[in-house]
Amino acid sequence: MRVQYVLSEIATGLRRNLTMTIALVIVVAISIAMFGTGLLVRSQAETTKGYWYDRIEISVFMCNEYSTGAGCADGAVTDAQRDTIRQTLEAHPEVDEVFYENQEQAFERFREQFDDSDVENIITPDQLPESFRVALQDPEEYDGVVSAVSGLPGVQEVTDQRQLLEPLFQTLDGVQVSAFAITLIQVIAAVLLIGNTIRLAAFSRRRETGIMRLVGASNFYIQLPFILEAAIAGLLGSLFGVVALFFGVELVVGRFIAPNLQFTSWVDSGDVWAAVPWLLLAGVLISVVASFVTLRRYLRV
Amino acid sequence: MILFDNVSKLYPTQNQPALDSLTMEVEKGEFVFLVGPSGSGKSTFLRLTLKEERPTAGRIRVAGKDLHRLSNWKVPHLRRRIGTVFQDFRLLPNKTVFENVAFALQVIGKPRRQINRDVPAVLELVGLDGKEDRLPDQLSGGEQQRVAVARAFVNRPLILLADEPTGNLDPGTSVGIMKLLDRINRTGTTVVMATHDQSIVDQMRKRVIELEHGKLVRDQSRGVYGYTR
Ligand SMILES: Nc1ncnc2c1ncn2[C@@H]1O[C@H](COP(=O)(O)OP(=O)(O)OP(=O)(O)O)[C@@H](O)[C@H]1O
Ligand SMILES: [Mg+2]
Repeated sequence: MRVQYVLSEIATGLRRNLTMTIALVIVVAISIAMFGTGLLVRSQAETTKGYWYDRIEISVFMCNEYSTGAGCADGAVTDAQRDTIRQTLEAHPEVDEVFYENQEQAFERFREQFDDSDVENIITPDQLPESFRVALQDPEEYDGVVSAVSGLPGVQEVTDQRQLLEPLFQTLDGVQVSAFAITLIQVIAAVLLIGNTIRLAAFSRRRETGIMRLVGASNFYIQLPFILEAAIAGLLGSLFGVVALFFGVELVVGRFIAPNLQFTSWVDSGDVWAAVPWLLLAGVLISVVASFVTLRRYLRV
Repeated sequence: MILFDNVSKLYPTQNQPALDSLTMEVEKGEFVFLVGPSGSGKSTFLRLTLKEERPTAGRIRVAGKDLHRLSNWKVPHLRRRIGTVFQDFRLLPNKTVFENVAFALQVIGKPRRQINRDVPAVLELVGLDGKEDRLPDQLSGGEQQRVAVARAFVNRPLILLADEPTGNLDPGTSVGIMKLLDRINRTGTTVVMATHDQSIVDQMRKRVIELEHGKLVRDQSRGVYGYTR
């Protein structure tokens, strides 16, 4: 009896408040699409950070015969000096891998970068420094490595890309924070809108609920149909929202952004799939919580 | 069954109390008329008994429960022991007679078996057998009030509260409703009825409690509507 009563009550409610139900579904759909967008922007920022983190390295340039500076008083780096530098780097706990690049290789890279056959006329291999390229365990921890090798004899200069990329990381951090803030505001707005819709639904059925209170129905029993109604509308809405998100990612990122901007890997429908359970759960949960809170205030004993 | 001990009620927006240090007791199985001019606090008395409102001061006991100590989640259980009838019937317009009465049992989670047994029985008691499938707007006012009484009584409450149940009915129909309430009273149910209906009070010769400005001004067994006037 109870189950049947509750089900028929939900059906009546959904039917009678069709416009309100549709409003609820739309509100949830938009909120969930925005919420999902927020999540995707966050994970995009995360991916971009990771992409660049993996490429961060420290370059230790060594003296050549033309070098000046404190470390290069002895002229070009000697074999003994080079070995000391290498051992220092390899022994350092923050260092992941060390690659050596000699003057010939530096010249090759130089030529590739500028893609210009005239390079040979301007510069010769012996004018370029040989170097160690150092990959780090943790890209955040570069200070220790830099200071460990900076003063060594034979070292001309130590550069780390972290400094170059710092503005990018700061921007990405900012993007993440704002995406989170927008998502939060979106959730609050959704809760308020859903609450208001449920309040209208409760108002339109105040006759029934009034009688229910008089004959001694428990609060749970009075509120259950509304809450289940909200949960169903929430589920429906978040399904629509998820579908919208798929289309959005496919059209905007898949067709437009990803093929044209290749400096990082981009979110795709796989990331949306991963978010689907959370989005559906969020849609239902937001609706249920919003209606529960509203009903506590408007259907009191 | 109902005990008011020095009860006062001041609504937040008012400056005159709706009930003013009211002390009275209704015994189990009694039939009590609550009379008094408009605004004297009759409906307030009924609402306090149901714990729809809380008193500003004083103690109320209903069916052995101290309402002050009764926690909110237990209030529904109190109300299951109290039936209520109003002047405006308060039926659900899109439910049939049977469904309206069954509704009261459904929403407190009673099994279908009990509903199919109790609802026809109470409809017969109020004289509506044969009209189970009518909608409220296919019934006369008196019949609608019988549905409301059936709904209030179907769960066999200890107390039946009626707030001007004959207020919208013509004298002949009112007599029918009064006979019904009297029959319910004879089953042992305590009945408290707020009314302005002088001829009914005078005919029935039950206990009469008169309020004025929230104060008890008369408590008379086998009383009449207004012997002071
Ligand atoms: N919800 C409320 N808020 C504020 N004041 C109220 C409220 N309900 C009743 N009152 C006031 O309390 C007083 C008593 O009202 P009550 O409804 O108990 O009178 P009554 O005896 O039932 O009157 P009537 O015979 O007209 O039904 C009145 O002055 C009324 O204005
Ligand atoms: Mg009244």
